[in-house]
Amino acid sequence: MGGTTPALLKDLRSLRVAVLHPDDADGRQLTQQLQRIGCQIQAFWPPPPALPDNIDVVFLAVRPDSIDKGWSWLAGDDLPILIAVVTYENPTIVETVLHVRAKAVLASPVRSFGLLSALVVARQVNGELKSQARKLRKLEAKILGARQISDAKAILMRTRQISETVAYDLIREQAMSKRVTTEEIAAAIINANEIMSLGL
Amino acid sequence: MSNKDPVRIGVLFSETGVTSTIGNSQLQGTLLAIDEVNEAGGIDGRMLVPVRYDAQSSPPRYAQLAERLIVQDKVDVIFGCYMSSSRKAVIPIIERWNKILFYPTLYEGFEFSNNIIYTGAAPNQNSVQLAEFMTSNFGARVYLIGSDYIYPYESNRIMSELILQREGGEKLAERYVALDADEKDFKTIIEDIRAMRPDFIFSTVVGDSTASLYRAYADAGFDPKTMPICSLTTSEAEVAEMGSGVATGHFTSSPYFQTIDSDINRRCLERFRHRIGGDCVPNLCWEAAYFQLHIFAEAHRDAGSGDIQALMPALLGREFDAPQGRVKIDANNHHTWLHPRIGRVDENGQFTIIRAATRAVQPDPYLVTHSLADWATKLSIPEL
Repeated sequence: MGGTTPALLKDLRSLRVAVLHPDDADGRQLTQQLQRIGCQIQAFWPPPPALPDNIDVVFLAVRPDSIDKGWSWLAGDDLPILIAVVTYENPTIVETVLHVRAKAVLASPVRSFGLLSALVVARQVNGELKSQARKLRKLEAKILGARQISDAKAILMRTRQISETVAYDLIREQAMSKRVTTEEIAAAIINANEIMSLGL
Repeated sequence: MSNKDPVRIGVLFSETGVTSTIGNSQLQGTLLAIDEVNEAGGIDGRMLVPVRYDAQSSPPRYAQLAERLIVQDKVDVIFGCYMSSSRKAVIPIIERWNKILFYPTLYEGFEFSNNIIYTGAAPNQNSVQLAEFMTSNFGARVYLIGSDYIYPYESNRIMSELILQREGGEKLAERYVALDADEKDFKTIIEDIRAMRPDFIFSTVVGDSTASLYRAYADAGFDPKTMPICSLTTSEAEVAEMGSGVATGHFTSSPYFQTIDSDINRRCLERFRHRIGGDCVPNLCWEAAYFQLHIFAEAHRDAGSGDIQALMPALLGREFDAPQGRVKIDANNHHTWLHPRIGRVDENGQFTIIRAATRAVQPDPYLVTHSLADWATKLSIPEL
Protein backbone atom coordinates (compact mmCIF):
# COMPACT_ATOMS: atom_id res chain seq x y z
CA MET A 1 0.00 0.00 0.00
CA GLY A 2 1.08 3.54 -0.50
CA GLY A 3 3.76 3.28 -3.16
CA THR A 4 3.32 3.23 -6.88
CA THR A 5 3.14 -0.06 -8.74
CA PRO A 6 6.62 -1.40 -9.64
CA ALA A 7 7.53 -1.47 -13.33
CA LEU A 8 8.20 -5.20 -13.07
CA LEU A 9 4.47 -5.66 -12.53
CA LYS A 10 3.33 -3.00 -14.96
CA ASP A 11 5.03 -4.48 -18.00
CA LEU A 12 3.89 -8.10 -17.51
CA ARG A 13 1.59 -7.81 -20.52
CA SER A 14 4.41 -6.89 -22.89
CA LEU A 15 6.60 -9.83 -21.84
CA ARG A 16 7.44 -12.35 -24.53
CA VAL A 17 7.58 -15.76 -22.92
CA ALA A 18 8.71 -19.08 -24.38
CA VAL A 19 7.33 -22.17 -22.66
CA LEU A 20 9.61 -25.10 -23.36
CA HIS A 21 7.52 -27.83 -21.85
CA PRO A 22 5.65 -30.90 -23.08
CA ASP A 23 1.95 -30.43 -23.85
CA ASP A 24 0.77 -32.16 -20.65
CA ALA A 25 -1.23 -31.07 -17.59
CA ASP A 26 1.67 -28.98 -16.24
CA GLY A 27 2.34 -27.46 -19.64
CA ARG A 28 -1.27 -26.47 -20.05
CA GLN A 29 -1.54 -25.11 -16.51
CA LEU A 30 1.57 -23.05 -17.22
CA THR A 31 0.47 -21.62 -20.57
CA GLN A 32 -3.10 -20.94 -19.39
CA GLN A 33 -1.94 -19.09 -16.30
CA LEU A 34 0.56 -17.05 -18.35
CA GLN A 35 -2.31 -16.16 -20.67
CA ARG A 36 -4.44 -15.08 -17.73
CA ILE A 37 -1.60 -12.89 -16.53
CA GLY A 38 -1.54 -11.53 -20.07
CA CYS A 39 1.97 -12.43 -21.28
CA GLN A 40 2.62 -13.09 -24.96
CA ILE A 41 3.51 -16.75 -25.10
CA GLN A 42 4.85 -19.37 -27.47
CA ALA A 43 5.14 -23.03 -26.45
CA PHE A 44 7.53 -25.68 -27.82
CA TRP A 45 8.51 -29.25 -27.07
CA PRO A 46 11.07 -30.51 -27.60
CA PRO A 47 12.98 -27.23 -27.25
CA PRO A 48 13.85 -25.76 -30.67
CA PRO A 49 17.52 -25.48 -31.65
CA ALA A 50 17.22 -21.70 -31.53
CA LEU A 51 14.82 -19.52 -29.58
CA PRO A 52 12.45 -17.13 -31.37
CA ASP A 53 13.68 -13.54 -31.43
CA ASN A 54 13.26 -11.18 -28.51
CA ILE A 55 12.21 -13.70 -25.90
CA ASP A 56 12.32 -12.16 -22.42
CA VAL A 57 11.58 -15.18 -20.29
CA VAL A 58 11.90 -18.94 -20.81
CA PHE A 59 10.09 -21.56 -18.77
CA LEU A 60 12.10 -24.74 -19.22
CA ALA A 61 11.03 -28.22 -18.17
CA VAL A 62 14.11 -29.74 -16.56
CA ARG A 63 13.43 -33.46 -16.81
CA PRO A 64 15.53 -36.59 -16.64
CA ASP A 65 15.00 -37.19 -20.36
CA SER A 66 15.90 -33.67 -21.45
CA ILE A 67 19.01 -32.80 -19.48
CA ASP A 68 22.37 -32.36 -21.10
CA LYS A 69 21.13 -31.72 -24.60
CA GLY A 70 23.56 -28.82 -24.91
CA TRP A 71 21.05 -26.36 -26.36
CA SER A 72 23.02 -23.69 -28.15
CA TRP A 73 20.90 -20.82 -26.88
CA LEU A 74 21.96 -21.71 -23.35
CA ALA A 75 25.54 -20.82 -24.21
CA GLY A 76 24.80 -17.30 -25.40
CA ASP A 77 25.84 -14.26 -23.42
CA ASP A 78 22.49 -12.51 -23.51
CA LEU A 79 20.46 -15.39 -22.14
CA PRO A 80 16.75 -14.74 -21.52
CA ILE A 81 15.57 -15.09 -17.93
CA LEU A 82 15.17 -18.77 -17.27
CA ILE A 83 12.66 -20.35 -14.89
CA ALA A 84 13.04 -24.09 -14.37
CA VAL A 85 10.02 -26.38 -14.03
CA VAL A 86 11.04 -29.48 -12.11
CA THR A 87 9.33 -32.78 -11.48
CA TYR A 88 12.23 -34.28 -9.51
CA GLU A 89 14.45 -32.78 -6.86
CA ASN A 90 17.38 -35.20 -6.92
CA PRO A 91 20.97 -33.93 -7.24
CA THR A 92 21.07 -34.65 -11.00
CA ILE A 93 18.09 -32.42 -11.68
CA VAL A 94 19.15 -29.71 -9.24
CA GLU A 95 22.59 -29.65 -10.85
CA THR A 96 20.93 -29.10 -14.22
CA VAL A 97 18.83 -26.30 -12.76
CA LEU A 98 22.06 -24.63 -11.65
CA HIS A 99 23.76 -25.38 -14.95
CA VAL A 100 21.05 -23.61 -16.96
CA ARG A 101 21.38 -20.65 -14.57
CA ALA A 102 17.71 -20.66 -13.58
CA LYS A 103 16.57 -17.54 -11.70
CA ALA A 104 13.53 -19.25 -10.17
CA VAL A 105 12.08 -22.74 -9.89
CA LEU A 106 8.50 -23.98 -10.21
CA ALA A 107 7.69 -27.39 -8.80
CA SER A 108 5.42 -29.86 -10.54
CA PRO A 109 2.48 -30.25 -10.28
CA VAL A 110 2.35 -26.65 -11.47
CA ARG A 111 -0.31 -24.55 -9.74
CA SER A 112 -1.63 -21.27 -11.02
CA PHE A 113 -0.82 -19.76 -7.65
CA GLY A 114 2.85 -18.82 -7.29
CA LEU A 115 3.64 -18.40 -10.96
CA LEU A 116 3.22 -14.62 -11.00
CA SER A 117 5.52 -14.21 -7.99
CA ALA A 118 8.17 -16.53 -9.47
CA LEU A 119 8.03 -14.59 -12.74
CA VAL A 120 8.42 -11.19 -11.10
CA VAL A 121 11.13 -12.28 -8.65
CA ALA A 122 13.14 -13.97 -11.41
CA ARG A 123 13.03 -10.76 -13.43
CA GLN A 124 14.12 -8.71 -10.44
CA VAL A 125 17.03 -11.08 -9.70
CA ASN A 126 18.05 -11.03 -13.34
CA GLY A 127 17.87 -7.24 -13.50
CA GLU A 128 20.03 -6.91 -10.40
CA LEU A 129 22.60 -9.36 -11.76
CA LYS A 130 22.73 -7.50 -15.06
CA SER A 131 23.20 -4.10 -13.46
CA GLN A 132 25.88 -5.51 -11.17
CA ALA A 133 27.68 -7.03 -14.15
CA ARG A 134 27.54 -3.65 -15.88
CA LYS A 135 28.96 -1.92 -12.82
CA LEU A 136 31.67 -4.54 -12.55
CA ARG A 137 32.73 -4.06 -16.17
CA LYS A 138 32.92 -0.31 -15.65
CA LEU A 139 35.01 -0.69 -12.50
CA GLU A 140 37.35 -3.18 -14.17
CA ALA A 141 37.90 -0.77 -17.04
CA LYS A 142 38.53 2.03 -14.58
CA ILE A 143 41.09 0.02 -12.59
CA LEU A 144 42.86 -1.08 -15.74
CA GLY A 145 42.96 2.55 -16.94
CA ALA A 146 44.36 3.75 -13.63
CA ARG A 147 47.07 1.11 -13.74
CA GLN A 148 47.98 2.02 -17.30
CA ILE A 149 48.24 5.69 -16.45
CA SER A 150 50.47 4.95 -13.52
CA ASP A 151 52.68 2.63 -15.69
CA ALA A 152 52.86 5.28 -18.42
CA LYS A 153 53.78 7.94 -15.87
CA ALA A 154 56.59 5.69 -14.58
CA ILE A 155 57.92 5.21 -18.11
CA LEU A 156 57.93 8.95 -18.78
CA MET A 157 59.51 9.76 -15.42
CA ARG A 158 62.27 7.24 -16.07
CA THR A 159 63.00 8.04 -19.72
CA ARG A 160 62.69 11.82 -19.46
CA GLN A 161 63.80 12.40 -15.88
CA ILE A 162 60.69 14.36 -14.98
CA SER A 163 58.44 14.49 -11.93
CA GLU A 164 55.17 12.57 -11.64
CA THR A 165 53.07 15.76 -11.96
CA VAL A 166 54.82 16.81 -15.15
CA ALA A 167 54.51 13.26 -16.52
CA TYR A 168 50.77 13.31 -15.92
CA ASP A 169 50.41 16.79 -17.47
CA LEU A 170 52.17 15.48 -20.57
CA ILE A 171 49.75 12.58 -20.90
CA ARG A 172 46.76 14.87 -20.40
CA GLU A 173 47.97 17.43 -22.97
CA GLN A 174 48.45 14.65 -25.52
CA ALA A 175 44.99 13.29 -24.82
CA MET A 176 43.44 16.74 -25.23
CA SER A 177 45.22 17.58 -28.46
CA LYS A 178 44.42 14.17 -30.00
CA ARG A 179 40.89 14.14 -28.54
CA VAL A 180 41.20 10.74 -26.92
CA THR A 181 41.14 9.60 -23.30
CA THR A 182 44.15 9.74 -20.99
CA GLU A 183 43.85 5.93 -20.70
CA GLU A 184 44.33 5.54 -24.44
CA ILE A 185 47.42 7.77 -24.45
CA ALA A 186 48.76 5.78 -21.50
CA ALA A 187 48.20 2.52 -23.39
CA ALA A 188 50.00 3.95 -26.45
CA ILE A 189 52.99 5.00 -24.32
CA ILE A 190 53.21 1.55 -22.74
CA ASN A 191 52.93 -0.04 -26.19
CA ALA A 192 55.60 2.15 -27.69
CA ASN A 193 57.87 1.53 -24.74
CA GLU A 194 57.51 -2.22 -25.15
CA ILE A 195 58.36 -1.99 -28.88
CA MET A 196 61.37 0.25 -28.21
CA SER A 197 62.63 -2.09 -25.49
CA LEU A 198 62.56 -5.04 -27.88
CA GLY A 199 65.77 -4.13 -29.65
CA LEU A 200 67.61 -3.09 -26.51
CA MET B 1 -34.71 -45.97 -13.17
CA SER B 2 -33.61 -42.45 -12.48
CA ASN B 3 -31.78 -41.19 -9.45
CA LYS B 4 -34.11 -39.27 -7.12
CA ASP B 5 -31.62 -38.83 -4.30
CA PRO B 6 -31.39 -35.29 -3.05
CA VAL B 7 -28.33 -33.23 -4.03
CA ARG B 8 -26.61 -31.95 -0.90
CA ILE B 9 -24.80 -28.67 -1.30
CA GLY B 10 -22.66 -26.74 1.18
CA VAL B 11 -23.69 -23.20 2.15
CA LEU B 12 -21.03 -21.35 4.12
CA PHE B 13 -21.56 -17.69 4.94
CA SER B 14 -21.10 -15.51 8.03
CA GLU B 15 -24.51 -15.21 9.66
CA THR B 16 -22.88 -13.55 12.67
CA GLY B 17 -19.81 -11.34 13.22
CA VAL B 18 -18.53 -8.15 11.55
CA THR B 19 -19.47 -9.13 7.98
CA SER B 20 -22.82 -10.73 8.82
CA THR B 21 -24.95 -8.11 7.08
CA ILE B 22 -23.65 -9.13 3.68
CA GLY B 23 -23.15 -12.76 4.78
CA ASN B 24 -26.82 -13.03 5.66
CA SER B 25 -27.88 -11.51 2.38
CA GLN B 26 -25.68 -13.95 0.45
CA LEU B 27 -27.28 -16.77 2.42
CA GLN B 28 -30.76 -15.46 1.58
CA GLY B 29 -29.92 -15.08 -2.11
CA THR B 30 -28.66 -18.67 -2.13
CA LEU B 31 -31.74 -20.02 -0.32
CA LEU B 32 -34.10 -18.11 -2.62
CA ALA B 33 -32.50 -19.68 -5.68
CA ILE B 34 -32.56 -23.14 -4.04
CA ASP B 35 -36.30 -22.74 -3.42
CA GLU B 36 -36.86 -21.69 -7.02
CA VAL B 37 -34.92 -24.68 -8.37
CA ASN B 38 -36.80 -27.08 -6.09
CA GLU B 39 -40.22 -25.58 -6.83
CA ALA B 40 -39.50 -26.08 -10.52
CA GLY B 41 -38.84 -29.79 -9.92
CA GLY B 42 -35.26 -29.76 -8.71
CA ILE B 43 -32.46 -31.10 -10.88
CA ASP B 44 -34.38 -33.64 -12.93
CA GLY B 45 -36.43 -34.52 -9.88
CA ARG B 46 -33.55 -34.39 -7.42
CA MET B 47 -34.15 -31.79 -4.70
CA LEU B 48 -31.36 -29.45 -3.64
CA VAL B 49 -30.70 -29.75 0.09
CA PRO B 50 -28.52 -27.04 1.60
CA VAL B 51 -26.18 -28.02 4.43
CA ARG B 52 -25.63 -24.69 6.08
CA TYR B 53 -23.12 -23.48 8.64
CA ASP B 54 -22.35 -20.08 10.13
CA ALA B 55 -18.67 -19.22 9.72
CA GLN B 56 -19.00 -16.30 12.16
CA SER B 57 -16.75 -13.96 10.11
CA SER B 58 -13.75 -16.05 11.19
CA PRO B 59 -11.30 -17.45 8.58
CA PRO B 60 -10.20 -20.47 10.70
CA ARG B 61 -13.88 -21.29 11.22
CA TYR B 62 -14.42 -21.12 7.43
CA ALA B 63 -11.61 -23.64 6.95
CA GLN B 64 -12.96 -26.03 9.61
CA LEU B 65 -16.50 -25.90 8.31
CA ALA B 66 -15.45 -26.30 4.67
CA GLU B 67 -13.63 -29.49 5.67
CA ARG B 68 -16.65 -30.69 7.62
CA LEU B 69 -18.96 -30.02 4.64
CA ILE B 70 -16.73 -32.10 2.39
CA VAL B 71 -15.68 -34.91 4.71
CA GLN B 72 -18.76 -35.41 6.91
CA ASP B 73 -21.57 -34.00 4.85
CA LYS B 74 -20.15 -35.25 1.55
CA VAL B 75 -20.95 -32.21 -0.54
CA ASP B 76 -19.34 -31.67 -3.97
CA VAL B 77 -19.85 -27.91 -4.06
CA ILE B 78 -19.77 -25.11 -1.52
CA PHE B 79 -21.39 -21.70 -1.93
CA GLY B 80 -19.73 -19.19 0.31
CA CYS B 81 -17.10 -16.76 1.61
CA TYR B 82 -17.04 -12.97 1.67
CA MET B 83 -13.74 -11.39 2.69
CA SER B 84 -10.63 -12.52 0.84
CA SER B 85 -9.22 -13.93 4.07
CA SER B 86 -12.18 -16.33 4.24
CA ARG B 87 -11.69 -17.42 0.63
CA LYS B 88 -7.96 -17.94 1.12
CA ALA B 89 -8.72 -20.08 4.20
CA VAL B 90 -11.05 -22.33 2.18
CA ILE B 91 -8.89 -22.69 -0.97
CA PRO B 92 -6.38 -25.29 0.34
CA ILE B 93 -9.25 -27.48 1.52
CA ILE B 94 -11.34 -27.18 -1.62
CA GLU B 95 -8.25 -27.93 -3.74
CA ARG B 96 -7.06 -30.84 -1.62
CA TRP B 97 -10.43 -32.59 -1.93
CA ASN B 98 -10.92 -31.38 -5.50
CA LYS B 99 -14.36 -29.83 -4.93
CA ILE B 100 -15.84 -26.58 -6.25
CA LEU B 101 -16.30 -23.28 -4.40
CA PHE B 102 -18.73 -20.67 -5.77
CA TYR B 103 -17.60 -17.27 -4.51
CA PRO B 104 -20.26 -14.53 -4.89
CA THR B 105 -18.18 -11.51 -3.85
CA LEU B 106 -16.29 -8.69 -5.52
CA TYR B 107 -12.60 -8.96 -4.65
CA GLU B 108 -9.17 -7.61 -5.60
CA GLY B 109 -8.31 -10.08 -8.40
CA PHE B 110 -4.96 -11.83 -9.00
CA GLU B 111 -6.27 -15.25 -8.32
CA PHE B 112 -7.28 -18.30 -10.27
CA SER B 113 -8.06 -21.74 -8.99
CA ASN B 114 -9.29 -24.70 -11.01
CA ASN B 115 -11.68 -25.27 -8.11
CA ILE B 116 -13.32 -21.85 -7.85
CA ILE B 117 -16.01 -20.00 -9.79
CA TYR B 118 -15.88 -16.25 -9.05
CA THR B 119 -19.18 -14.42 -9.60
CA GLY B 120 -18.43 -11.01 -8.07
CA ALA B 121 -16.71 -8.13 -9.87
CA ALA B 122 -12.98 -8.00 -10.58
CA PRO B 123 -11.41 -4.50 -10.44
CA ASN B 124 -11.73 -4.01 -14.20
CA GLN B 125 -15.51 -4.33 -13.73
CA ASN B 126 -16.00 -1.71 -11.02
CA SER B 127 -12.90 0.36 -10.10
CA VAL B 128 -12.06 1.71 -13.54
CA GLN B 129 -15.63 2.77 -14.21
CA LEU B 130 -15.87 4.48 -10.82
CA ALA B 131 -12.57 6.36 -11.24
CA GLU B 132 -13.60 7.50 -14.71
CA PHE B 133 -16.94 8.78 -13.49
CA MET B 134 -15.69 10.48 -10.32
CA THR B 135 -12.69 12.21 -11.88
CA SER B 136 -14.82 13.40 -14.83
CA ASN B 137 -17.46 14.90 -12.57
CA PHE B 138 -15.75 15.98 -9.37
CA GLY B 139 -11.99 16.28 -9.98
CA ALA B 140 -9.04 14.05 -9.22
CA ARG B 141 -7.88 15.04 -5.73
CA VAL B 142 -8.90 12.00 -3.75
CA TYR B 143 -8.89 10.96 -0.10
CA LEU B 144 -8.70 7.17 0.41
CA ILE B 145 -10.23 5.43 3.44
CA GLY B 146 -10.38 1.68 3.84
CA SER B 147 -10.69 -1.19 6.26
CA ASP B 148 -7.32 -2.59 7.19
CA TYR B 149 -6.98 -5.65 4.95
CA ILE B 150 -5.96 -6.75 1.48
CA TYR B 151 -9.02 -5.72 -0.58
CA PRO B 152 -8.76 -2.03 0.36
CA TYR B 153 -4.96 -2.02 -0.15
CA GLU B 154 -5.28 -3.32 -3.69
CA SER B 155 -8.36 -1.23 -4.52
CA ASN B 156 -6.52 1.87 -3.33
CA ARG B 157 -3.46 1.00 -5.41
CA ILE B 158 -5.66 0.83 -8.49
CA MET B 159 -7.57 4.02 -7.63
CA SER B 160 -4.29 5.89 -6.97
CA GLU B 161 -2.90 4.89 -10.35
CA LEU B 162 -6.10 5.87 -12.11
CA ILE B 163 -6.45 9.35 -10.59
CA LEU B 164 -2.81 10.11 -11.38
CA GLN B 165 -3.69 9.66 -15.07
CA ARG B 166 -5.75 12.88 -14.74
CA GLU B 167 -4.20 16.30 -14.89
CA GLY B 168 -4.00 17.62 -11.34
CA GLY B 169 -4.67 14.14 -9.97
CA GLU B 170 -3.50 13.80 -6.40
CA LYS B 171 -3.76 11.27 -3.60
CA LEU B 172 -4.24 13.41 -0.50
CA ALA B 173 -4.15 10.59 2.03
CA GLU B 174 -4.55 6.86 2.41
CA ARG B 175 -5.98 5.87 5.78
CA TYR B 176 -6.98 2.52 7.23
CA VAL B 177 -9.30 1.67 10.11
CA ALA B 178 -9.98 -1.58 11.97
CA LEU B 179 -12.81 -3.79 10.70
CA ASP B 180 -14.82 -2.99 13.80
CA ALA B 181 -14.16 0.77 13.69
CA ASP B 182 -16.90 2.97 15.10
CA GLU B 183 -17.80 6.60 14.64
CA LYS B 184 -15.12 7.96 17.00
CA ASP B 185 -12.42 6.08 15.08
CA PHE B 186 -13.32 8.19 12.05
CA LYS B 187 -13.16 11.46 14.00
CA THR B 188 -9.54 12.38 13.21
CA ILE B 189 -10.01 11.30 9.60
CA ILE B 190 -13.07 13.52 9.26
CA GLU B 191 -11.10 16.49 10.65
CA ASP B 192 -8.30 15.73 8.22
CA ILE B 193 -10.81 15.69 5.35
CA ARG B 194 -12.19 19.03 6.51
CA ALA B 195 -8.69 20.51 6.30
CA MET B 196 -7.75 18.94 2.96
CA ARG B 197 -11.01 19.42 1.04
CA PRO B 198 -10.61 16.54 -1.44
CA ASP B 199 -12.69 16.46 -4.64
CA PHE B 200 -14.09 13.13 -3.48
CA ILE B 201 -13.56 10.38 -0.90
CA PHE B 202 -12.99 6.79 -1.99
CA SER B 203 -14.16 4.38 0.68
CA THR B 204 -13.22 0.72 0.82
CA VAL B 205 -14.52 0.42 4.35
CA VAL B 206 -16.49 -2.83 4.63
CA GLY B 207 -18.77 -4.44 7.19
CA ASP B 208 -20.58 -2.70 10.01
CA SER B 209 -18.09 0.18 10.15
CA THR B 210 -19.36 1.44 6.78
CA ALA B 211 -22.37 2.98 8.50
CA SER B 212 -20.07 4.70 11.03
CA LEU B 213 -18.08 6.39 8.27
CA TYR B 214 -21.12 7.78 6.47
CA ARG B 215 -22.66 8.90 9.78
CA ALA B 216 -19.43 10.64 10.78
CA TYR B 217 -19.44 12.36 7.37
CA ALA B 218 -23.06 13.47 7.80
CA ASP B 219 -22.44 14.70 11.36
CA ALA B 220 -19.55 16.80 10.08
CA GLY B 221 -22.01 18.63 7.82
CA PHE B 222 -20.15 17.84 4.59
CA ASP B 223 -22.03 18.11 1.29
CA PRO B 224 -22.17 15.09 -1.09
CA LYS B 225 -22.83 17.49 -3.98
CA THR B 226 -19.31 18.88 -3.78
CA MET B 227 -17.33 16.17 -1.94
CA PRO B 228 -19.13 12.82 -2.22
CA ILE B 229 -18.02 9.45 -0.92
CA CYS B 230 -17.74 6.77 -3.60
CA SER B 231 -17.39 3.09 -2.96
CA LEU B 232 -17.38 -0.41 -4.41
CA THR B 233 -18.87 -2.03 -1.33
CA THR B 234 -21.51 0.34 0.04
CA SER B 235 -24.69 -1.36 -1.13
CA GLU B 236 -28.38 -1.06 -0.29
CA ALA B 237 -27.68 -3.25 2.77
CA GLU B 238 -25.10 -0.91 4.27
CA VAL B 239 -27.19 2.13 3.38
CA ALA B 240 -30.19 0.64 5.22
CA GLU B 241 -28.09 0.38 8.40
CA MET B 242 -27.14 4.05 8.38
CA GLY B 243 -30.50 5.58 9.12
CA SER B 244 -32.67 7.71 6.92
CA GLY B 245 -30.94 10.00 4.45
CA VAL B 246 -27.40 9.51 5.78
CA ALA B 247 -26.01 8.15 2.52
CA THR B 248 -28.12 10.24 0.15
CA GLY B 249 -26.08 11.69 -2.71
CA HIS B 250 -23.11 9.31 -2.39
CA PHE B 251 -21.99 6.97 -5.19
CA THR B 252 -21.36 3.25 -5.59
CA SER B 253 -20.05 1.24 -8.54
CA SER B 254 -21.66 -2.18 -8.78
CA PRO B 255 -23.04 -4.63 -11.37
CA TYR B 256 -26.31 -4.83 -9.44
CA PHE B 257 -28.72 -2.41 -7.83
CA GLN B 258 -32.30 -3.22 -6.78
CA THR B 259 -33.49 -0.42 -9.06
CA ILE B 260 -32.40 -2.17 -12.27
CA ASP B 261 -35.28 -1.74 -14.67
CA SER B 262 -35.96 -5.26 -15.95
CA ASP B 263 -38.71 -7.82 -15.57
CA ILE B 264 -36.28 -10.48 -14.43
CA ASN B 265 -35.02 -8.25 -11.61
CA ARG B 266 -38.47 -7.08 -10.55
CA ARG B 267 -39.85 -10.63 -10.48
CA CYS B 268 -36.83 -11.85 -8.55
CA LEU B 269 -37.25 -9.14 -5.89
CA GLU B 270 -40.97 -9.87 -5.76
CA ARG B 271 -40.37 -13.58 -5.10
CA PHE B 272 -37.80 -12.68 -2.47
CA ARG B 273 -40.27 -10.46 -0.59
CA HIS B 274 -42.95 -13.17 -0.62
CA ARG B 275 -40.59 -15.85 0.59
CA ILE B 276 -41.23 -16.91 4.17
CA GLY B 277 -38.36 -16.52 6.61
CA GLY B 278 -35.11 -14.73 6.18
CA ASP B 279 -34.70 -11.03 6.35
CA CYS B 280 -32.09 -9.04 4.50
CA VAL B 281 -31.63 -6.15 2.12
CA PRO B 282 -30.90 -7.38 -1.44
CA ASN B 283 -27.57 -6.09 -2.76
CA LEU B 284 -24.81 -6.96 -5.25
CA CYS B 285 -23.57 -9.95 -3.21
CA TRP B 286 -27.11 -11.21 -2.72
CA GLU B 287 -27.62 -11.13 -6.48
CA ALA B 288 -24.33 -12.92 -7.20
CA ALA B 289 -25.22 -15.59 -4.63
CA TYR B 290 -28.62 -15.92 -6.29
CA PHE B 291 -27.54 -16.27 -9.91
CA GLN B 292 -24.53 -18.51 -9.21
CA LEU B 293 -26.82 -21.09 -7.59
CA HIS B 294 -28.99 -21.13 -10.72
CA ILE B 295 -25.93 -21.46 -12.94
CA PHE B 296 -24.80 -24.39 -10.79
CA ALA B 297 -28.22 -26.07 -11.03
CA GLU B 298 -28.37 -25.71 -14.82
CA ALA B 299 -24.83 -27.02 -15.24
CA HIS B 300 -25.51 -29.92 -12.87
CA ARG B 301 -28.59 -30.81 -14.91
CA ASP B 302 -26.51 -30.92 -18.11
CA ALA B 303 -23.55 -32.69 -16.51
CA GLY B 304 -25.67 -35.21 -14.59
CA SER B 305 -23.27 -34.99 -11.70
CA GLY B 306 -21.80 -32.65 -9.10
CA ASP B 307 -18.36 -34.12 -9.53
CA ILE B 308 -15.85 -31.52 -10.66
CA GLN B 309 -14.70 -33.54 -13.69
CA ALA B 310 -18.22 -33.50 -15.12
CA LEU B 311 -19.53 -30.26 -13.64
CA MET B 312 -16.69 -27.84 -14.40
CA PRO B 313 -16.85 -28.24 -18.20
CA ALA B 314 -20.61 -27.64 -17.97
CA LEU B 315 -20.04 -24.45 -15.92
CA LEU B 316 -17.37 -22.86 -18.09
CA GLY B 317 -18.82 -20.60 -20.77
CA ARG B 318 -22.32 -20.98 -19.36
CA GLU B 319 -24.63 -17.97 -19.65
CA PHE B 320 -27.57 -17.00 -17.50
CA ASP B 321 -30.19 -14.23 -17.43
CA ALA B 322 -29.44 -12.78 -14.00
CA PRO B 323 -31.26 -9.84 -12.42
CA GLN B 324 -28.37 -7.57 -13.55
CA GLY B 325 -28.58 -8.84 -17.16
CA ARG B 326 -27.11 -11.76 -19.08
CA VAL B 327 -23.94 -12.99 -17.37
CA LYS B 328 -21.41 -15.61 -18.46
CA ILE B 329 -18.76 -17.70 -16.70
CA ASP B 330 -15.49 -17.00 -18.48
CA ALA B 331 -13.98 -20.31 -19.57
CA ASN B 332 -10.43 -19.01 -19.37
CA ASN B 333 -10.30 -17.42 -15.93
CA HIS B 334 -13.44 -18.73 -14.11
CA HIS B 335 -14.59 -15.19 -13.32
CA THR B 336 -17.88 -13.75 -14.65
CA TRP B 337 -18.84 -11.33 -17.42
CA LEU B 338 -20.82 -8.65 -15.59
CA HIS B 339 -22.62 -5.33 -16.20
CA PRO B 340 -20.84 -2.40 -14.48
CA ARG B 341 -23.08 0.42 -13.27
CA ILE B 342 -22.77 3.59 -11.20
CA GLY B 343 -25.56 4.43 -8.77
CA ARG B 344 -26.29 7.45 -6.58
CA VAL B 345 -28.12 6.93 -3.31
CA ASP B 346 -31.57 8.53 -3.30
CA GLU B 347 -33.59 9.69 -0.29
CA ASN B 348 -35.14 6.21 0.13
CA GLY B 349 -31.84 4.38 0.40
CA GLN B 350 -32.12 3.05 -3.15
CA PHE B 351 -29.73 3.76 -6.01
CA THR B 352 -30.52 5.92 -9.00
CA ILE B 353 -28.55 4.33 -11.82
CA ILE B 354 -26.75 7.15 -13.57
CA ARG B 355 -24.26 5.19 -15.70
CA ALA B 356 -24.45 1.67 -17.15
CA ALA B 357 -22.37 -0.52 -19.42
CA THR B 358 -24.02 -1.18 -22.75
CA ARG B 359 -22.90 -4.81 -22.69
CA ALA B 360 -21.33 -7.31 -20.30
CA VAL B 361 -17.67 -6.61 -19.49
CA GLN B 362 -15.19 -9.46 -19.63
CA PRO B 363 -13.43 -10.14 -16.32
CA ASP B 364 -9.67 -9.53 -16.35
CA PRO B 365 -8.49 -10.47 -12.85
CA TYR B 366 -4.79 -10.21 -13.68
CA LEU B 367 -4.86 -6.67 -15.07
CA VAL B 368 -2.11 -4.70 -13.24
CA THR B 369 -2.38 -1.34 -14.99
CA HIS B 370 -5.87 -0.04 -15.58
CA SER B 371 -6.35 2.87 -17.92
CA LEU B 372 -8.85 5.71 -17.90
CA ALA B 373 -8.13 6.33 -21.56
CA ASP B 374 -9.67 2.97 -22.51
CA TRP B 375 -12.99 4.12 -23.97
CA ALA B 376 -14.27 0.55 -23.93
CA THR B 377 -14.62 0.83 -20.16
CA LYS B 378 -16.62 4.03 -20.37
CA LEU B 379 -20.22 3.72 -19.28
CA SER B 380 -23.15 5.36 -20.98
CA ILE B 381 -26.00 7.32 -19.48
CA PRO B 382 -29.02 5.01 -19.30
CA GLU B 383 -32.14 6.17 -21.07
CA LEU B 384 -34.90 7.23 -18.74
